[in-house]
This record gives sequence, C-alpha cells and structure tokens, in this order.
Amino acid sequence: MSDDVMISLDHVSKRYRGQKVPAVENVSMTIHRGEIVVLVGPSGCGKTTTMKMINRLIEPSSGRITLDGADVTSLNPTELRRRIGYVIQQGGLFPHMSVATNIGMVPRMLGWDRRRIDARVDELLDLVGLEPGQFRNRLPQQLSGGQQQRVGVARALAADPPVMLMDEPFGATDPLTREHLQNEFLRLQEKLQKTIVFVTHDFDEAIKMGSRIAVLGERSRIRQFDTPERLLAAPADETVAQFIGAGASLKQLNLRRVGSIAYDEAHLVTSQESPAAVLRHLDESGDWAVLTVDGERRPLRWVGPRDLRPERDTLDGVGIPAPTVEPRATLRDALDAMLTCGCGAAVVVDDAGRYRGVLGIDRLMRAITEMRETERSRDRGVAEASYYRPPMPRTLAAPAQRGGAR
Amino acid sequence: MTFLEYLQSRRTLLLAQTLEHATIVLTAVAIATVVGVLIGVATYRHRRGRAIAVAVAAAILTIPSFALLGLLIPPLGLGYVPPLIALTLYAVLPILRNTVVGLTEIDPALREAARGIGMGPLRRLATVEIPLAWPVILAGIRVSTQMTMGIAAIAAYVGGPGLGHQIFSGLANLGGVNSLNQALVGTLGVVILALAVDLCLALLGVLTRPGRGARSAARNPRSAPPAGAAATAGTAH
Repeated sequence: MSDDVMISLDHVSKRYRGQKVPAVENVSMTIHRGEIVVLVGPSGCGKTTTMKMINRLIEPSSGRITLDGADVTSLNPTELRRRIGYVIQQGGLFPHMSVATNIGMVPRMLGWDRRRIDARVDELLDLVGLEPGQFRNRLPQQLSGGQQQRVGVARALAADPPVMLMDEPFGATDPLTREHLQNEFLRLQEKLQKTIVFVTHDFDEAIKMGSRIAVLGERSRIRQFDTPERLLAAPADETVAQFIGAGASLKQLNLRRVGSIAYDEAHLVTSQESPAAVLRHLDESGDWAVLTVDGERRPLRWVGPRDLRPERDTLDGVGIPAPTVEPRATLRDALDAMLTCGCGAAVVVDDAGRYRGVLGIDRLMRAITEMRETERSRDRGVAEASYYRPPMPRTLAAPAQRGGAR
Repeated sequence: MTFLEYLQSRRTLLLAQTLEHATIVLTAVAIATVVGVLIGVATYRHRRGRAIAVAVAAAILTIPSFALLGLLIPPLGLGYVPPLIALTLYAVLPILRNTVVGLTEIDPALREAARGIGMGPLRRLATVEIPLAWPVILAGIRVSTQMTMGIAAIAAYVGGPGLGHQIFSGLANLGGVNSLNQALVGTLGVVILALAVDLCLALLGVLTRPGRGARSAARNPRSAPPAGAAATAGTAH
C-alpha cells in the first residue's frame, strides 16, 4: 500500500441484526490523500452507511477500514471522530449554542486554551466567508440555510483534520445557494487539500465536486469507480449509464470551469452615462449591448439599443439584469445563467463580484466542440492507463487558455 | 374579628407557616427533579423502559394523598419526613414524563452530529441533550410544583408543616370564632404562594432558556428560518 493512500476499505460489509440482506456488502476502495471521492447512488443504496463506517458511527460487521495506515477499530471512537471532520445536511449545528461555540466544540474537547480557540474561530469564519464580528455570537437559527452550511463546514475544519466526511452537505439549500457553496468549497479545497469522502444522490453534484466518483448500486456495491471524465465517456454498464441519465454530453459541461476558457470583453458604462452616448457607441461598434456597472465595477444590467430612451438623462434601472458566474462555476452553470436571462451571455466576476469578462454563448459552443474532440482523441490514445488522477484543482488541470480578460 | 384583623394578629405564625409550606414543596420538587431527570435519562432510549417508568410514576400519582400520607405514618412516624416523601413521589411523574418527551423530541440528526464530531455519551447529555430538553423539563417542574402545593396542605394531617394547619383547624371548628378566617387564610395562602412560586419558575425559564429560542428549534428542527426572518424569530413562545 503506498503512502499516498489515506483511507482504505477492505472487503467491508455491514449486516444489521434481523435483516436478511446486508446493507453494505463487500466494499473495497482506496482513497488517496487530497482527493474528493464522491459516493453517489440512489437513496437507500448504503452510501451513507458506507461513509459512516469510516468514522465508526456505524460499526462494520466484517472487513477492515484503515485511516492513514491504522485500523479504525483499533482506535478509540470518540478520539477517531475528533480527527475526522464531519459535515451533514444543514450543518447539524447545535441550536442552543452560538456560532463561535459550535465551531469551537472540537478544539475545546481537544483541550485548546480559550485564546487559541477564539483566534481559530475567527480565522475559520473568515475562511468560509462570514464576517467574524457579525456572525460570531449569532445563534444558528439567525442564519440562512447557506450560512448554516458554511458554519457546519467551519466546525468540521476546526481542528484541521486531514480527512472530512460530508453527507449531502449542500442538499438542503436552494439551487442557487447550492451552486455558490459548491464553488466556494472547491476554492477552499484548492487551499486545504483535505481528503474528502462526499456523499450525494445528485449526479451533477458528483461530477462537479469529485476527483473520482464511485457509482454505487444496491448494498453499496461499486458499479464504477472512476474520474468524472471517464465515467461520462465510458459508463461501465447499463445501470451506470441509466444513472448518469440522458444528456451525458450535456453533463460534460459540468467538467469544465468558466475560468478555463477565454472571455470576451463588454463595453462598460456607469449608470450615469447618457443614453445618447451609449446609442452612438452601439452604432459605431456593432455591439449588441453595453454593460452597466457600479462604482466597484460590479455588473448591473445589459442595455441594448431597444432599452434606450434618448429623452432620459441616465441609464438608471434600464435594461435587463445581467446574470453573473464565478470562474469556478462550471460551463453548465454558465449556460443556466444565460438561459435564465435569455441574453446569451454571462458576466464573469471575481470573488468580490467585480467584472472580469463576458462569456458568450458562441465561446461556450466552441468549448463544447473542443471538449468533444479531445474526448475522441483521448479514447483512441489512452486505453489502459490508471484512471486515478492526482488531486489537482481542476481549474488548473484543464487546458489553460485563460484569456487576459482585462 | 374581621379577616384583615385576623391576618394582622397572626402575622408571625402565618408567615412562618407559609415559609414552611414553600420549603417542603420546593425541597420535594428539587428531589423529584433529580430523580425524575435521572430516571428519564436512563430510560428514554428504550421504549419498554420508559413505558414502565412512566406507568409506575402515573400509578403512584393515583394513590389518594390522604391514604398515602396515612400509610407512611406506621413506618416513618409523624412529622416532616412522611409528607416530604409523599410529595416527592407525586412530583416525579410530570418531571419524568417531560424529561422523556424533551429528550425524545431532539432531532436525531443533532444527536448524530454530536456523536460525529467526537462527543462521548456523557458530554452529549450534558452539553446538547439536557440543554435542548430543558424548557420541556422545566414545564414539568412547574406542573409538579403547582400540584404539590395543594397536596402539601394535607400534610398537616400527619403533623407536617405548612398552611394546612390553618385549614384543618378552621374546618375542625367550623362555626367557632375565627374558624372561617383560618380556613380562608390557609386556602388563599396556598393559592398565592403557588402563583408566586410559578412566577419565579417562569422567570427561571426565561433566564435559562438555552440560547434564545432553542426550544422551538428542538421541537421543529427541520424548519430552518429563511434568511433575514431569523433575527426576530427567536422569541415566539
């Protein structure tokens, strides 16, 4: 077994008393340091049970699970769990404790002193994008679902565990928040390089989050364990193909990030600009619209020739709201944004929401064509390589041609 | 003698009896809280166990107080001890039942989150489960207190302390001088004392509320408040 292996499951089964069929039967897999392995499968397939055996919330009936080389059954379960971050749906925050107390729980159990805990709590709140001064003393129910989820992640990271188990962590949030949390989490992971086991029933989420994906069938039987790319290109059998569902090629849009393709430029104006000047610009340049931005260069609205009233002085409230995506969003997220506004373009913004460029539908189409070509050539080329892909942020791994968007 | 004149002339005695009354009730409830919570914690995970515990406590509550107090005289004699034991026995049921309800109503996901981040059973109980169940347990304590206030009046029958003496001697001499005043002052005293203590317990509830509004969260943990609406949602009880 190489040093690279963080978690290994070796012929693990779980049989509950009084039940004829085991809940998990004979599962073996190795999980490498720094990768996100997603367990995905229909509900009731035993994926959560499989995950919970790693931190011994559920004891395996047979087989061996090792964590960093040590058999987990040889370790004290509560101490083992303090070394493994655990995130569940909605964060599982204790409703009677403040955000700071929730996050500081594990460090407190590990006997850190107060000052160190307080400093760590603030550091983590910053890390997950919540202003410490504002959120430290709030109660969980004074937070939105997405904020609760962030605090849940912060709590799991508190004692800096090398391994995290995440059970449908973004499941209870609305699609927009979920997408945002996913992007944010991927950004964190680029920095933290944790070994993560991630359970979900959402295949799109699996493709987006996973370094490798294990598609599980009944009794947690592994139907295919592969990189997202391979999984989409070559499903192992009928069932996997069915689970991937229709539109596998559309799902490949989940594989590439907005940041990995070149942006276009839009003509930026402030809302104070006069409609007449904008009209002149549109005439001269042939652009379909200009983008209004605020003082911080945050995009506001698309303004086309038909939105302009020459008799007015400013562009305040004129045009259609411009949808934005982050560089970490997938091309599919970008397509969604474009379709929602019906304008065929999404504005790429940085973490602070400032303008970085524009992703047009034609760029997107070109990227898709490109993807399909590389797909074809790769299928011809590498047939029998090891499909384990070393953990690397996908934004960097993808063929880089990040256009100088400014 | 008018009622007010009677109050005035027996001021010291009445105050002493009120104090005795309060003391025996609060002592009994305090013991019952420890006993009830312990039994509740020990049994709530097992369906059989908690059913038996609650059934026994309920059976005790059906014993007429007069009879129970009388039956405790042969082994324990007269005085302070038999009424204290009887009151404690009566006070256990509401506390025990509410402890069980409070603990079983906690969202299993929370319990598992506590386990998942590495809390041992005792720490889970002390930092998560009891605090979340506390408002429900406290409601049980209030019911027990109200109930035993009335029963404690009967303790005077076996030589126990409290305002029951006024009632009993008043009723025994009905028609005599001051008998009506005595019965009235005893009864009113118990009622006022009960209301006063309940007020204190209600205040205790406000002061010990786990977080602000954690009670609603313990009962209905799935309903996370929407963003923004949360700031004011805490105190809706």
